Amino acid sequence: MSKERSSTQAVAAASQLPLRRQSKAARDRSKHVFLLPTVILILLLSIFPLLFSLAVAFLSWDLSRLEGGIRFAGLANFVTLVKDARFWNTTRVTVFFVTGAVALEYVLGLGVALLLNQISRFRRIFVVISLMPMMLTPAAVGYVGRMLFNESKGPINDIIQMLGGPMVPWTSEGSLALPSLILVDAWEWTPFMLIVLFAGLQSLPQEVFEAARVDGASDIQIFRHITLPMLAPVSLTIILIRGLEAFKLFDISAVMTGGGPGTATETVTMYAYRVAMKNGNLGYASAIAYSLLIMIVIFSTIFLNSLRRRTAAGLE
Amino acid sequence: MRLTMPQYQRIKLIVAYILLTLWAVLCLFPIYWLVITSFKQPIAVFRGPKYFPWIDFQPTLDAWNYLLFGPVQKEVTRSWSNSAILAVSSAALAVVIGSMAGYALTRFRYFVPGLKWQNRDIAFWIISQRMLPPVVVILPFLIMYRFVGLVDTHVGMILAYTVFNLPFAVWIMRDFFINLPTDLEESALIDGASRLGAFRKIVLPLSTPGLVATFLFCMMFSWNDYLFALMLTFSRASTLPMYIAGEGTQTYGPQWWYLSALSLLAVAPMMVVALLVERYITRGLLVGAIK
Repeated sequence: MSKERSSTQAVAAASQLPLRRQSKAARDRSKHVFLLPTVILILLLSIFPLLFSLAVAFLSWDLSRLEGGIRFAGLANFVTLVKDARFWNTTRVTVFFVTGAVALEYVLGLGVALLLNQISRFRRIFVVISLMPMMLTPAAVGYVGRMLFNESKGPINDIIQMLGGPMVPWTSEGSLALPSLILVDAWEWTPFMLIVLFAGLQSLPQEVFEAARVDGASDIQIFRHITLPMLAPVSLTIILIRGLEAFKLFDISAVMTGGGPGTATETVTMYAYRVAMKNGNLGYASAIAYSLLIMIVIFSTIFLNSLRRRTAAGLE
Repeated sequence: MRLTMPQYQRIKLIVAYILLTLWAVLCLFPIYWLVITSFKQPIAVFRGPKYFPWIDFQPTLDAWNYLLFGPVQKEVTRSWSNSAILAVSSAALAVVIGSMAGYALTRFRYFVPGLKWQNRDIAFWIISQRMLPPVVVILPFLIMYRFVGLVDTHVGMILAYTVFNLPFAVWIMRDFFINLPTDLEESALIDGASRLGAFRKIVLPLSTPGLVATFLFCMMFSWNDYLFALMLTFSRASTLPMYIAGEGTQTYGPQWWYLSALSLLAVAPMMVVALLVERYITRGLLVGAIK
């Protein structure tokens, strides 16, 4: 009985206070039962593959050769990488895509969230409608994009021409293919920004806005000096989340443009996949994949730092 | 003419409704396009876009017949049921394992000696796995799976998706348990329940909203996955996105009517789920993003 009592005290102490008086063995047993499955799975199927992949990046591992396909290659893969124009192109495509898509999604999402915040009726209907694009399988989204942007049979060009515009070569012109892809991605993911920003707007203290209005601030002033700064932490978080996802782009572009025309929409992930599966060059594919990981780490470090600074500044 | 304040407010409101309606149309048009295209005949596709059934084209069930009762019926059924089996099982596993870890991280105190890690560090380590681009781990997966014979199997795919979803499940459930009062589990423990028993009989039932949200999200991630399925399956365990991608990039030109119907089959379950449990989904998005 006393043992059980002490364990309940430990529960009351939750995670903040040190646990007392419970037998160490019993405590350890049950607490490890809860956490170990997750830790083991992650070590085995996330950390191990990560290290394995790093090791492979230093090998010359050619699947197309039957024997002697594997040998140590030192930094050879990374040297090739630095000189590989196609790799730099995929990097450019990926960074351009991430910047364009996330910026567009944030601005649109914030705009619609502000509109939703204005109205009082039919809010829920608009929210439910906004959820719909997010529910679509990216492969299907890529396919819808292909249909909509089709030059002669797609509705987008049809509508542009009805309004007197020209026939736009959306997916056959290198410089337009990536923007088309960004538009399709924005269609699917702006709703995510919208819903989080809308919730953020609703959680802001109303007194501040009323005070500003009493002082005669205009809508634009309120937006610039109150709404936007107060939304900054949420904004940075969702930009980070969407940015991380956008860096991994593969599915929508694989179905919509297949990386083309040429390599105009080939992303880093797609290139790594092709090097591995089409050329059978696992070592080089791993090096490409790792370079994406490095990009993502740099991106998220910058973001997390500015997030921390913002939050710290907000607390002062 | 200067507008009075109420007039200005009224105009603002009207403009907001107009723009929001436009936004709603933008959201729904591609889905509408999928639906009408799936009822088109080839002629309604190739003679430029047609927008309204019965008005500018005659709808037909040809594509649906071909898909559900025609020569591809077997492949379609298999892809669909593969997608469903993998999504549901991996989501269930991720929720069970993830909620245990999420619970542990809020109720026990851990310390990893060598690294000087505490609960917060462990939680961050787990969620940071989510930031990994899947392409980095996918090659070792392929090599390992070949070695142990898990390529193109349900078990292999369920395992891969479970690990993929686990960080998210731990994160969101941990957040849920932090705010869950501990009184009830305490009394159960006093009454002699084991920790695992209290978790199963008291904590989990109290956490149904969080569990449902997590389950739905994990299911969605698995259902929508492209890269894992592309690398690790080729026929037996192949999923719907693979089927769409395979058919969609055929060289004989896009058979839009049939591919639209196929896409709708892939999209419909998640849309129905979303409509039924919209509140949970909104909540899940918020927990994931704001905390």
